[in-house]
Amino acid sequence: MSENKEIRLDDISEAKKKSHSAARKADKTAGAVIWVAAVIGLLLLAFIIVTILWRGLAIALNPKFLTGSPAPLNQSGGGILPMIVSSLYLAFLTLVISLPIGIAAAIYMSEFAREGLVTRAVRFGADALSTVPSVIFGIFGLILFVTYLGLHFSLLSGALTLTFLNLPVIMRNTEQAIRQVPNTYREASIGLGAGKWYTVRKVVLPSAIPGIMTGGILTMGRVIGESAAVILTVGITTSIIPVSPLDSGAPLAANIYQLYSEGALIPDYLKIAAGEACVLLIIVLMLNVLARLIARHYKKMGSGRFV
Amino acid sequence: MKLKGDWVARKVFFVAAMMVVLGILLIIVLVTKEAVPALTKIGPFKILFSSKWEPSKNQYGILVFIVGTLLTTLGALIIGVPLAIGIALFVTEVAPKKAAGVVSNAIELLACVPSIVIGWLGLTALIPLLKSLTGKATAFGLLPASIVLAVMVIPTICAISVDAINSVPDAYKQGSVGLGATRWQTMRHVTLPAAKSGLVVATILGMGRAIGETVAVALVIGTANVFPTSLLSPTNTLTTKIFTDIQESSGIQHSVLFVMGVVLLLIAVGLILIVRKVAPPITKVS
Amino acid sequence: MGRKSRIMLGTVLALAMVLSVLVAAGCGTTNYTGVTGQNKLALSGSTTVLPVAQEAANEFMKANKGITVNVQGGGSSVGIQNVTQGTVDIGDSSRDLQATETSAGLVDHKIAYDIVDIIVNPGSVQVKNLSMDQIKNILSGKVTDWSQVGGSPGKITVFVRDSASGTRDMIDSKVLGKGTPTAVTNVAGATELNSNGLMKQNVASTKGSIGYISSGYADKTVAAVNVGDVVPNLDNAVSGKYVLSRWLHMFTKGQPNPLSQKFIDFVLTPAFQNGPLAKDYIPVSKVPGGTGSSSATGK
Repeated sequence: MSENKEIRLDDISEAKKKSHSAARKADKTAGAVIWVAAVIGLLLLAFIIVTILWRGLAIALNPKFLTGSPAPLNQSGGGILPMIVSSLYLAFLTLVISLPIGIAAAIYMSEFAREGLVTRAVRFGADALSTVPSVIFGIFGLILFVTYLGLHFSLLSGALTLTFLNLPVIMRNTEQAIRQVPNTYREASIGLGAGKWYTVRKVVLPSAIPGIMTGGILTMGRVIGESAAVILTVGITTSIIPVSPLDSGAPLAANIYQLYSEGALIPDYLKIAAGEACVLLIIVLMLNVLARLIARHYKKMGSGRFV
Repeated sequence: MKLKGDWVARKVFFVAAMMVVLGILLIIVLVTKEAVPALTKIGPFKILFSSKWEPSKNQYGILVFIVGTLLTTLGALIIGVPLAIGIALFVTEVAPKKAAGVVSNAIELLACVPSIVIGWLGLTALIPLLKSLTGKATAFGLLPASIVLAVMVIPTICAISVDAINSVPDAYKQGSVGLGATRWQTMRHVTLPAAKSGLVVATILGMGRAIGETVAVALVIGTANVFPTSLLSPTNTLTTKIFTDIQESSGIQHSVLFVMGVVLLLIAVGLILIVRKVAPPITKVS
Repeated sequence: MGRKSRIMLGTVLALAMVLSVLVAAGCGTTNYTGVTGQNKLALSGSTTVLPVAQEAANEFMKANKGITVNVQGGGSSVGIQNVTQGTVDIGDSSRDLQATETSAGLVDHKIAYDIVDIIVNPGSVQVKNLSMDQIKNILSGKVTDWSQVGGSPGKITVFVRDSASGTRDMIDSKVLGKGTPTAVTNVAGATELNSNGLMKQNVASTKGSIGYISSGYADKTVAAVNVGDVVPNLDNAVSGKYVLSRWLHMFTKGQPNPLSQKFIDFVLTPAFQNGPLAKDYIPVSKVPGGTGSSSATGK
């Protein structure tokens, strides 16, 4: 009897060893596959950045390129300053319009509102706005702002259109930041006799500023990188630097598309497109890194503003 | 004064919050309004279910574009979901801390690369590569479009998957390891199933991004109004067609483009409803 | 003079100088009003006309300091719609008006003549001449291999313009017989490209391909073929031997306002027509029936 038991124990441990080595093999393979996935991800990013820089950095670093205006027809050597200004101006204008609205909406949702039809409608609206394709925003802006309201192709049309595109992002970031403010702060403030609006203004918002800044910078990056909606509302080519919001412009992303379509009359249009893509990528990457540095910095500082 | 300030503030902020609702309503109303002429003149069935697009003969069937959108999205998910979840597992479970940080940062950077840059690279680097690999004359079609879209949805799916995996309680994983399971066994039998609803949400949001992408796809899909016959034959999608035709179109064709817009809006709303069914708590936080 | 009064005098003189400089700068430009504001001219419309319109705008602004000319695209339809609504002063178009647009009271100003080349991929296609029938058969898909039209065997890849393009409209009418009882349609699987630039790049990089393009965009990366043994050049276009050509228009609502008239006149000056414009298009003076504006009543 005991012999049988021993044998069975041996069998069991043999079987265990086998299944264990099989499991270890599976674990090793799975680990390898996962490492491969991560490496592919890294390679993708590296390929994109290296190719864009390789093709365009030499062109982009030329001061004449960065500060000059587009060349006359059929001539090469043009610059892209109006395009850079258009992109930055558009981002700035969009922020000016969308930040107040987004922050106010986020404050309402997190501080003033009670769960109900209104909050559900707003959440659904925000989700919907963030799922709508950018080309739909483009045709929406084309119909409403460019044509119907008569703003025609202008930075203002673009900014108004992109406001709707970016409201969900700003709302989400602000709400997240506001919710991180400990309730004890609010209670203390109310306990000291302050009203809700005062509490929000003096206690909650200041602590939420890093989150708001992150949302703002992310929005800038998104606006500068947006193409379809911008092509249909702002414009694709220009030679003058836009001054008023009602001027049209040619943001970098839109101009790259234009150069590739109708720009072929300019002899060096491919080079200009490569340079623009490089400038565009650098600006967007810098903004993203900046947003994350700010977030990390404030995280380190902690919410110990009042401690 | 305290209470009055509160009252005013509440009203102002309420109006701001309603701007969001106003925005989506305006979009839906305006797009639908422009679509009405085509819907009344030709009828929704003829538009949605016919694959003949020949404006000179007054044929406006958009089935080709609907199928194109679905196929490119499917392709993007087939390529992108495994990669994204693999990278998510890398960052959360497999990698040493430093490597995880590097990869995680890399994916965040990938997320902010503008779509026109990716599309331009697809046109000027990917397609010539495909041409030389296959020896074909043109290399537009579902394959480059799916690859380009996959690159764009991987960051989205990855980020949400990382959140989902991280929110699996440690106790589950520790329990599994305590029972003698390997890392992969834990992932496969404990972590991933527990994170399932989050992973599904990630995939659906990635799907939404893929469906809505415009310029990148427009540059590599080949813009031909026929069904694809292979992975490398030119075809078209809803977003691309709207984008390429909206400026020069007029009359009924203009209106049909807005019908396509309505289809896209319906898909977007549908996706949101599905996400809410799958994972209500996650959507509340976002 | 006391110190205080000297300072005051100095300030007044300085102010006076600044004011006079400002007044002088403002003088010299009579005030024109466009639909978008004073001394502002707005154009929108065809992206084919866009490069030339932009160039004209740049030159015009250099010659008329104080006036801003804003040129955008949007497509011929958007341009016509905008000028009908009155949101721009001039609508650019690369096509004639359609039936629904003729009652808007638009005035047609022809600003350039455009020859459209039939182009093929230079490395892989050796055919140098195609008859109208052959082009028709290729575009409609009846002919699918170059060997059927006198070239070495190879699959023909067809590129066309998008269905609302003026160029496509012209080709469809003149080659495919659009609007006539014997019309044929483009082959179903043809890739639609919505600009001259994309057309050029695709034909240049695709073996065995054929397409069509404004001759101003054609360069040595694509090869233009003769149509029915007729070379696509100005003389043949003018004499009518080469039929694939069309006008480029600037439309105004009714008679142009003084600023629009000034600009259109500038576009039609020999200096501009024979200078920048002639590099890509044909001056209107060289083509009969071009000069003078006409009430736009459509095709």
